[in-house]
Amino acid sequence: MPAKFDNGSIGLYLIAGAVILFVLGQSLFFLIKAWKHGRKIGIDKKKLISAVTSSALFTIPSALSVLATVIALAPALGLVIPWVRLSVIGNLTYETVAATNAIEAFGITTGISEKITDPEVYAGIAWVMTIGICFSLIILPFVAKPLHKKFLKLNQKTDEEPVAEEAATVAADAAKPKKKRGFAGFVDYVTPALFIGLIGAYVANAILGSGKPDVAIDGAGVLSILTLVTSIAVSIVLELVAKKCKLTWLEPFVMPIGMIAGMVVAVLAYNLPEIGQKLVEATDVAALDWIGEKLMSLKDIVIIEWRG
Amino acid sequence: MAKKTKKQKSYFDSVHSWGRISSISALFVLLMFPLAITLYLGVVPDKTFLSYVLNGLLKVAPLYWALAVVEVIFYTPMLGAGGTYLSFVTGNIVNLKLPCAISAMENAKVKATSEEGDVISTIAIATSAIVTTAVLAIGIIAFAPFLDSFTSSPLLVPAFKQVLPALFGALGAGYFVKHWKLSFAPILFMLAILVFVPDIGASTLLIPGIIASVVFAFIMYKVGFLDKKAK
Repeated sequence: MPAKFDNGSIGLYLIAGAVILFVLGQSLFFLIKAWKHGRKIGIDKKKLISAVTSSALFTIPSALSVLATVIALAPALGLVIPWVRLSVIGNLTYETVAATNAIEAFGITTGISEKITDPEVYAGIAWVMTIGICFSLIILPFVAKPLHKKFLKLNQKTDEEPVAEEAATVAADAAKPKKKRGFAGFVDYVTPALFIGLIGAYVANAILGSGKPDVAIDGAGVLSILTLVTSIAVSIVLELVAKKCKLTWLEPFVMPIGMIAGMVVAVLAYNLPEIGQKLVEATDVAALDWIGEKLMSLKDIVIIEWRG
Repeated sequence: MAKKTKKQKSYFDSVHSWGRISSISALFVLLMFPLAITLYLGVVPDKTFLSYVLNGLLKVAPLYWALAVVEVIFYTPMLGAGGTYLSFVTGNIVNLKLPCAISAMENAKVKATSEEGDVISTIAIATSAIVTTAVLAIGIIAFAPFLDSFTSSPLLVPAFKQVLPALFGALGAGYFVKHWKLSFAPILFMLAILVFVPDIGASTLLIPGIIASVVFAFIMYKVGFLDKKAK
């Protein structure tokens, strides 16, 4: 077995390309099928074109954040595995977790920040990430049809009375008895609760978690809080602006901009003291020395980690 | 009316048949990916290799397989038949496909459970999947030559170190504001865990975190804390 390998070799890209072409083919197939049927049942062509263009625009910013995740995983895994994993079933939250766990299972403690050089570990990670995510495809052929039929029936019942609810809540509401606080009413809260548990773990870890003792700015500290607060604040402010000013085009950009803002602030906070110090030195004016000292002590603050 | 029901049935039946074929074939292709990598790199799947993979799966699979069941149950009525199959093959449902489908159906003023809604949802999700694939492909092809110099640049080290707080801060912001009642208890609970076990790691912390989040939500629901004010 070779001790080292190239995680960006042509062969690996070809394997990835084949998988991605297959998924692309499926999307095209369903698109054409739905389009033809839409025309057949008399949906206006303009309506169909509008669905395509608005969805495409809506997707671009979020797709950029998916690309950012691929790039975030790239230092450890190269581009091939993250590319495939985020093109087929994958999602932002799962892939980072799965990659970290898979790397840890092989006894590597550097997480997703160090390059994986052992082909055995690399192949193992591919297996863990793939099998970990594939369960929905195993159950879907069995449960999707009966589930969908049940909701169609529920919907037919509610259709007898005029309903003006959002599409997303129609099905859940139909199954929900009012004011009874039975389990059926609780289902509305399960998905947000699951996501909050998942997202909250990373947020809490950025506030109080410790990193690897031998890796700098890895654990929670000034820099992680700064990043977290920036991305949350920017997202909330943009969300409010989008809602208040009715800028619907801005809404899909909120999350990617919030994320990028957080990362930009991290880079600025980390590098500015040093750059400023160099500028002070370059000017060679003795009176500016104290600014240099201040900047360097600022640098000491930025790299503070609570658990060292 | 009877004619319409028959036509509707045949459309949905056809979507389900194609959807099943697409899920099973996608599963097959998906599993070929790690197999192809293993063969290509000449890795021998011996006992130690399998035990490492199993160890990694034990950490990942229980949670994500459970989440998969929940996702299929909750997202199917929202995505429609065609949209469901396509979304589960292409992924990124909660951050991409679902908002995309809902917004397209709202624009077209159709419901997910109607035939028109199913068509619009499928078109929206298919478009979203194609655009995502294109953005990723262009981004990766453009980015690959610079990857090493980019990721190892000392100037950008903090960006890659802080990607998780940035990502989950931005992803969480909307949830925390919209579901603030559901948010504070599980986050305080996880912070309390971190006080005692600071190096637990987010990937392990999320297991007690999710359980606590659902339990707290259920308690709050039962005592009526989550009831919406009457308008």
